[in-house]
Amino acid sequence: MAAEVQRKRSSECPDGTLAPSDGHTVERAESPTPGLAQGMEPGAGQEGAMFVHARSYEDLTESEASEMSGESPQEGAGSAPPLPADMRQISQDFSELSTQLTGVARDLQEEMLPGSSEDWSEPPGATGRPATEPSREGTTEGDEEDATEAWRLHQKHVFVLSEAGKPVYSRYGSEEALSSTMGVMVALVSFLEADKNAIRSIHADGYKVVFVRRSPLVLVAVARTRQSAQELAQELLYIYYQILSLLTGAQLSHIFQQKQNYDLRRLLSGSERITDNLLQLMARDPSFLMGAARCLPLAAAVRDVVSASLQQARARSLVFSILLARNQLVALVRRKDQFLHPIDLHLLFNLISSSSSFREGEAWTPVCLPKFNAAGFFHVHISYLEPDTDLCLLLVSTDREDFFAVSDCRRRFQERLRKRGAHLALREALRTPYYSVAQVGIPDLRHFLYKSKSSGLFTSPEIEAPYTSEEEQERLLGLYQYLHSRAHNASRPLKTIYYTGPNENLLAWVTGAFELYMCYSPLGTKASAVNAIHKLMRWIRKEEDRLFILTPLTY
Amino acid sequence: MGLSTRLQGNRVHASVQEENKILFYHPNEVEKNEKIRNVGLCEAIVQFTRTFSPSKPAKSLHTQKNRQFFNEPEENFWMVMVVRNPIIEKQSKDGKPIVEYQEEELLDKVYSSVLQQCYSMYKLFNGTFLRAMEDGGVKLLKERLEKFFHRYLQTLHLQSCDLLDIFGGISFFPLDKMTYLKIQSFINRVEESLSIVKYTAFLYNDQLIWSGLEQDDMRILYKYLTTSLFPRHIEPELAGRDSPVRAEIPGNLQHYGRGLEPFIPGYTALISAMSAAVCFMIDAATQPTLDFCRRLDSIVGPQLTVLASDICEQFHINKRTSGSEKDPQFKFIYFNHMNLAEKSTIHMRKTPSVSLTSVHPDLMKILGDINSDFTRVDEDEEIIVKAMSDYWVVGKKSDQRELYVILNQKNANLIEVNEEVKKLCATQFNNIFFLD
Amino acid sequence: MEDKGEVKCIKFSLENKILAVQRTSKTVDFSNLIPDNSQQEYTQECKTKNANILGFCWTSSTEIVFITDQGIEFYQVLPEKRSLKLLKSQSLNVNWYMYCPESAVILLSTAVLGNVLQPFYFRGVTMLKLPKFEIELPTAPKSTKLSLSERDIAMATIYGQLYVLYLRHHSRTSNSTGAEVVLYHLPREGACKKMHILKLNRTGKFALNVVDNLVVVHHQDTETSVIFDIKLRGEFDGALTIHHPVLPPRSIQPYQLPAAGPASVTSQSPVPCKLYSSSWIVFQPDIIISASQGYLWNLQVKLQPIVNLVPDKGRLMDFLLQRKDCKMVILSVCSQMLSEADRATLPVMATVFDKLNQEYKKYLDAEQSYTAAVEAGQSRSNPPLKRPVRTQAVVDQSDMYTHVLSVFAEKKEMPHKLVVSVLMEYVRSLNQCQIPVKHYLHELVVKTLVQHNLFYMLHQFLQYHVLSDSKHLACLLLSLESFYPPAHQLSLDMLKRLSTANDEIVEVLLSKHQVLAALRFIRGIGGHISARKFLDAAKQTEDNMLFYTIFRFFEQRNQRLRGSPDFTPGEHCDEHVAFFKQIFGDQAVRPTTL
Repeated sequence: MAAEVQRKRSSECPDGTLAPSDGHTVERAESPTPGLAQGMEPGAGQEGAMFVHARSYEDLTESEASEMSGESPQEGAGSAPPLPADMRQISQDFSELSTQLTGVARDLQEEMLPGSSEDWSEPPGATGRPATEPSREGTTEGDEEDATEAWRLHQKHVFVLSEAGKPVYSRYGSEEALSSTMGVMVALVSFLEADKNAIRSIHADGYKVVFVRRSPLVLVAVARTRQSAQELAQELLYIYYQILSLLTGAQLSHIFQQKQNYDLRRLLSGSERITDNLLQLMARDPSFLMGAARCLPLAAAVRDVVSASLQQARARSLVFSILLARNQLVALVRRKDQFLHPIDLHLLFNLISSSSSFREGEAWTPVCLPKFNAAGFFHVHISYLEPDTDLCLLLVSTDREDFFAVSDCRRRFQERLRKRGAHLALREALRTPYYSVAQVGIPDLRHFLYKSKSSGLFTSPEIEAPYTSEEEQERLLGLYQYLHSRAHNASRPLKTIYYTGPNENLLAWVTGAFELYMCYSPLGTKASAVNAIHKLMRWIRKEEDRLFILTPLTY
Repeated sequence: MGLSTRLQGNRVHASVQEENKILFYHPNEVEKNEKIRNVGLCEAIVQFTRTFSPSKPAKSLHTQKNRQFFNEPEENFWMVMVVRNPIIEKQSKDGKPIVEYQEEELLDKVYSSVLQQCYSMYKLFNGTFLRAMEDGGVKLLKERLEKFFHRYLQTLHLQSCDLLDIFGGISFFPLDKMTYLKIQSFINRVEESLSIVKYTAFLYNDQLIWSGLEQDDMRILYKYLTTSLFPRHIEPELAGRDSPVRAEIPGNLQHYGRGLEPFIPGYTALISAMSAAVCFMIDAATQPTLDFCRRLDSIVGPQLTVLASDICEQFHINKRTSGSEKDPQFKFIYFNHMNLAEKSTIHMRKTPSVSLTSVHPDLMKILGDINSDFTRVDEDEEIIVKAMSDYWVVGKKSDQRELYVILNQKNANLIEVNEEVKKLCATQFNNIFFLD
Repeated sequence: MEDKGEVKCIKFSLENKILAVQRTSKTVDFSNLIPDNSQQEYTQECKTKNANILGFCWTSSTEIVFITDQGIEFYQVLPEKRSLKLLKSQSLNVNWYMYCPESAVILLSTAVLGNVLQPFYFRGVTMLKLPKFEIELPTAPKSTKLSLSERDIAMATIYGQLYVLYLRHHSRTSNSTGAEVVLYHLPREGACKKMHILKLNRTGKFALNVVDNLVVVHHQDTETSVIFDIKLRGEFDGALTIHHPVLPPRSIQPYQLPAAGPASVTSQSPVPCKLYSSSWIVFQPDIIISASQGYLWNLQVKLQPIVNLVPDKGRLMDFLLQRKDCKMVILSVCSQMLSEADRATLPVMATVFDKLNQEYKKYLDAEQSYTAAVEAGQSRSNPPLKRPVRTQAVVDQSDMYTHVLSVFAEKKEMPHKLVVSVLMEYVRSLNQCQIPVKHYLHELVVKTLVQHNLFYMLHQFLQYHVLSDSKHLACLLLSLESFYPPAHQLSLDMLKRLSTANDEIVEVLLSKHQVLAALRFIRGIGGHISARKFLDAAKQTEDNMLFYTIFRFFEQRNQRLRGSPDFTPGEHCDEHVAFFKQIFGDQAVRPTTL
């Protein structure tokens, strides 16, 4: 989707000088130890992080109360841009947004014709999903049965509904068909709330039903995955934030204050595919699980040039400048004292990856970053540097009128890149956007995730054999989810987990400074595992300036 | 932690007044509408989940304040148990005390097992619900439920439930071949001379040596014998679950007939000499006479006394040879699904009041977590974790056997931990095929 | 041989080398029967002046003893010299004498009453005088006339010991209820000792035989015989053991005499011969001669009929176990006591089994210590130890299995509970006697339990190692898995305990597609691992993840062994390499950088 898309040929104007990136270094711990202080672990950024530190499941615990009491979680986190002045303003934003949404939905269908689906981030099933499915009337009994049976067997259902029981979103099956079911869901929620109680989850053989309550919405997941209720709730929260990012919390609560049983789908129609995409992304991309961002492997020198260039291509209204490549972070420059929350970044990732419409020229769209400020919109300038590369630039501005200034930043940035020849290096890097685990040189090692807590970044190699099929890859992530949920169990957290299973051995190691998840051959011994850890940590330390952003810059 | 058990029946009778649907409700004081509300919720939950899986409806419901467990032991008969989450009082900034519910403290598997246990135990003594309905309709069923659960619920101690309640295992008494054979021939002889004895079970120190019943029946009977039936007046607090409490008291020959306990399909007569106890299941058809009891006593008594002292002797010999099995380095729980054999060095003796475990509750819960992880795949798995308290907890699953070890060497590393477990297996389980 | 007057008595020496003939009361004549020697006789007169030879007896092929009324003279005959050499002589008044060839003991009745008996023992050229002893007469003799008659004394070897049996007749004065036989034990050295009394509980004319270590006393008036076994428990009064007949009196089995008269005439039907006739003469140990009819019989004891005459099975076993041809009878008794008709109670079976196994164990021990000794090379120690003889009383497991237990267990109508109890009782008995139980017995137990779906029982037995481990049993268990899943675990445990069955374990695991487990197991115990075998197994599972794991494992092994991940041609893994590439692509087969 894209709001107020204004297509312009970005004109070249060679001008502006380059300030050298300041590459001062702090002495760093050589070998990893559990006692490694945060900020000293491999991949730790030198001057703080670019992110708000995401602790696991904070949202389930803290924000709930505040959400209930209607105040935004990140209240007072830096100087948030002023709320749009009056109500008219908002409702205007709104109508525009909605019209655009439908508009996009249409031209999406054109793009999404078979052939353009090599776009990796496009979920096969979701191509050109219509805003609402045709209702199943007229289908014969048998079909009905098969259909419902097939519907039941889906791995993960997600439902969003209003407190009045009005369907907002359903991953599978038309909301109409499910309105009665959703009615029951709301009934259950309110029944327990009547007793000053709250429903959390229902457990049965082979599946779970998880409820998350975020006034004015109710989110429900029905999952046959091995994920814990906590994790599922976490995913529902992502869905919730996804919706906020389209509407802002303020508008959402306002709407329902105005009209108890408002049908939110009118606003969100066309955005389902973003949500669908988010769900698919979460099932495959560990970023969400890690609550961190992954960097494009890049020579430090090149990255420094890129960051510096971003830094210099600044404008008054800019808060964040983000360069992405396929959901991997290339560089991020932020306003001093302004931190981006990983969740917000993920939402941006998702926004980009759920549509290839941004490949044409520049987009200028209002986006709410709910963890940053759920009350208002930012305006994001989205553009691919060159149509044929995956390099996507996001310039997050506080001023919706500032398009031209921001667009000019893009031009300046590209200029600088060229000047310093970095764009070639970048192209080069993009040819191998992932590294093979073989480089680590541990025979038994199959895959790993490593997260530096202070920098909010993580790294992991390409998923290779034997995890070749999609199922296997999702299974692998499932295993990581399992380790993660045990390690971060709300009441019984664990420091180390060693798991020997039928298909692989896993090891999780969580310290104050970093988290490491290793997957290796089921025939590997414990001794070899322990050695592997040390070898791997040394390797990461060696490679850290390629795998991480060690010198994040601010304007 | 409070308990409230509901037994709710039978949509077939829906036409009957709402409250009639509730066959048993504890605590009974609860106001009628409240009862109906709660029961209604359970029905709603179950119905709701049927939309996603008609055949596998909800097993449990998690809410902020409590957890509810559902069990449909017989078609259209539902048992529900509600267990409150533990709470901690906190001081809010403005000094007001606020209660916070600890929602992750209860382990589903433990309490759903307890609930199933409730039914099995009821059935052991009363037969199925349906049978009661046929015999005397709802009225009779309600009576039976009232009569049984009124007493049984006293014996439940939910706060001390743990892994062992999931297993519902049987602790076997280690014994040498010869003594075992003697017991065999003793039992055979008694059964030969008293034809109305259908089955016999032989226990020593609340540990099973021989069961003529089938495994599943024995499992419940064993639970019953060891938790409800045996006189518990002599009960040193700190004696391992598997230690010969009564045998320690020398020459205390309390040979005595435990009268006759009602039992499906017949009656049980229990005779115990010293720490040995023989449990005779008697054909339901024949009412045992007092004369029969005398005969039983005269036949069994003398032989049993001799056997008991044999066993006791053997036991102490083994103890001496095996040396001190109480190793401070580790404590463990072992369970074999194939024969329900269970062994724990973690548990102190289960007293009627509470089962004392020698480890921190959190560690016990971690064991529970590992156990539930195991049940997700039925292949062999091993899980080793290091808790925040720096204790190491090891779970091994190998061909239907489960072993859980807690090591208190806080600064050991993975390899050392593995060595310890290997050592344990070598000493405790060298005679079984147990992969490491 | 020409007539030199009336012959009192003739006796051949052992091996019939020499014939001794007594014609006068002073001399005995000899003639060699060795062919080349001439038939001419030579004579020996007894040394003692005016003594009368009561008789003579050969103690070997060339040694002979003269018994005179004044003593005995022991000679060596020198056939080629045609003369005798006096070896030893002893003078004492002799009333009568009795010779027991098998023990080479001569018993002389001395003293006025004749009740002081002087035994001599002969061995080669030596004559040994054993301490004399006195037979207590039933009543204090009124006169000084000879009151112990030769007829009432017999000598016989019972259970390898020489006894003097004295038939003490009933006397009104003594309050004995009837006649009795008193047994004096006559040891090689040491004094003779009165040991057993056999109560006859009747009076009249008796005759003794000793058959198969049983004392058989014939009673003429009732024409019956009673049997005593001194090994059976009797009433012991501190010095003597008093025995009662093992069974009620029974008659000797009637005997048909072929019709008398010329052989041509065979038409006449045979005539039953008169038993217990007064013309009978008995000789020890088991000879009966009918003087009138000119027949000589050997007395035998038939065991089969006895079985039903002894109600107490334990006592019956004690009795049978001492008999020569007892095995089949014992086995028949066992099967009988299991038969519906007259089934014994478990305790009785227990005692029977115990008695059998004690005997069995005795033999095993002897056998064992013998072999042990042989291995220790003490074979040339003296006395040279001889292999213990396996008497029929040794009823081992295979006997019981083939003749009794298997048959019994097969019977459909048998209540399985009983079958199991009996088998377990036998197993118990074996264990109690510390006899290792043979696997076929265990298998019988298992089969019986399985047939009746008593799997849980079986499980418990195995749990307590009642059925001892063996590959046989382990395999049997494996075959049961489909009926009783836990059998698999039980079988694996057993194989593990055997510790000689690692290959089997691997096979079992592989057959269950537990390739990883198998590999981990071998790695644990060490030993050669065939890459092909495991790759095949992994491939069969059609689990690509597994195949990947196994394949990589061997690649790394190769790397360690040969510095390259490739397989040697000898391992024949090409197809697997191809298969791997096919699934995971060529680039997946990367050299592991170490």
